[in-house]
Amino acid sequence: MMLQIESLEYSVGEFNLGPLSFELEKGGYLAISGPSGSGKSLLMELIAGLRRAKNGKIIIDSANHTFTPPRERPVGLLFQDYALFPHLSVYDNIAFPLRIMKKESKVIDSRVKTLADYFSIEKLTGRDVGTLSGGERQRVALARAIAYEPNILILDEPLSALDEDLREEAKQTLADLKKMGQTIIHVTHNRNEIEGLASKSIALFQGFIKSEF
Amino acid sequence: MSIFVFMRFNNSFNLTYLIFALLGGIILIFLIAPLLGLFFSLKAPQLFSTINDSQVSNSIYRTLLISAFVTLIASLFALPLAYILARKRFPLKGLIEAIIDLPIVIPHSAAGIALLGFISRDSLVGSLASSVGLNLVGSSTAIGMAMAFVSVPFLINSARDGFAAVPVRLEQVAETLGASRYQVFTQISLPLAKRSVISGLVLMFARGMSEFGAVVIVAYHPMTTPVLIFDRFNSFGLDYARPVAAIFIAVTLLIFILLRIYQKR
Repeated sequence: MMLQIESLEYSVGEFNLGPLSFELEKGGYLAISGPSGSGKSLLMELIAGLRRAKNGKIIIDSANHTFTPPRERPVGLLFQDYALFPHLSVYDNIAFPLRIMKKESKVIDSRVKTLADYFSIEKLTGRDVGTLSGGERQRVALARAIAYEPNILILDEPLSALDEDLREEAKQTLADLKKMGQTIIHVTHNRNEIEGLASKSIALFQGFIKSEF
Repeated sequence: MSIFVFMRFNNSFNLTYLIFALLGGIILIFLIAPLLGLFFSLKAPQLFSTINDSQVSNSIYRTLLISAFVTLIASLFALPLAYILARKRFPLKGLIEAIIDLPIVIPHSAAGIALLGFISRDSLVGSLASSVGLNLVGSSTAIGMAMAFVSVPFLINSARDGFAAVPVRLEQVAETLGASRYQVFTQISLPLAKRSVISGLVLMFARGMSEFGAVVIVAYHPMTTPVLIFDRFNSFGLDYARPVAAIFIAVTLLIFILLRIYQKR
């Protein structure tokens, strides 16, 4: 199992999440859906380590990561607004995790090139991120997240900020990532968009799993 | 005048705006007139002899150097504090913010008196310094402390606003990409708040070098330019103080104009 969530609990103010338990196999594509206020963002942030669980366990690739800080978790996160670093070029955004890992510049260069080719953004690497379109921004953010080589990639509403015609293209990109063997968690309020992608689906409602299939 | 032209172009000319512009114009004249008057009443021979007066140029170098130096030293302490204030909520935060603003509201001569007591030879700090052969009172160190005391709030507040404007999301995503908290600060937060931080540094530098009240109490000598202006006025009168004032105002204006250009860019 790539991810095991065991009796995970969290509360903020009046809202209680869980206890939640579920699993995701290596290379699996899990969809977490639910209306706003269902707790899906909290769950996502708990898995990424941006919040500390109150109870329960988060086990990633057989290691207990319940209380490790985000930088030590093999989890990548694609935010809904992509959260590109505005002071860095496209190249430097993608290179960011590689530089943090202190990779050699030759290695960084070839890795960024490979990723840029893969996501068809090789012509954009010199650009300022402020000049990119929504679809381009998403592909840069995906390339940056993949550069970190996460065991699990969490996508927060990856399709909802895109125009209709870009959505199919982005869906294809996600399907390709899945084919490559990337374990993915796709968080969405719209269950229709995960059709044909998800190998497993969890619907949250008011902090609990309403249905799982 | 340009205000009126602008309003006509803007097609929003009406009586209220006209009266407001007139009232606003008076306050502008009030700000500009004394400065223009100072420069117009300068006499060329006096100005040239003042420029060549080594006491004046030395005081200007001293003032700029000390202020620049304390600004850099203070930033080592002020930037971490500004970042914590921008990012964390903790008990008594309001009190700490009030303490930071305190030097802005208290009379600077009173601040000077307080500092003098703090560094005089019978105080803890002063006796420690004199045990290693340093006399703080009347030293460049005292001048620097007085400048820092009255000017550091400008750096802290400006940097805090800059850090607060950096989206938390960007710091979070950097953490999920493997960055430590310190790397997040140096590679994401600080570069993104750069403009406010630099504005804060320049404001602190400019405020520190202009300081008179606190400086004159802790160190009449060696003279900073604001003290020298006062000394010339007190000993020789307006005509002798004016050229020194004009030169120093020109230097500060230059720095201020550069800051404005940087902020507008």
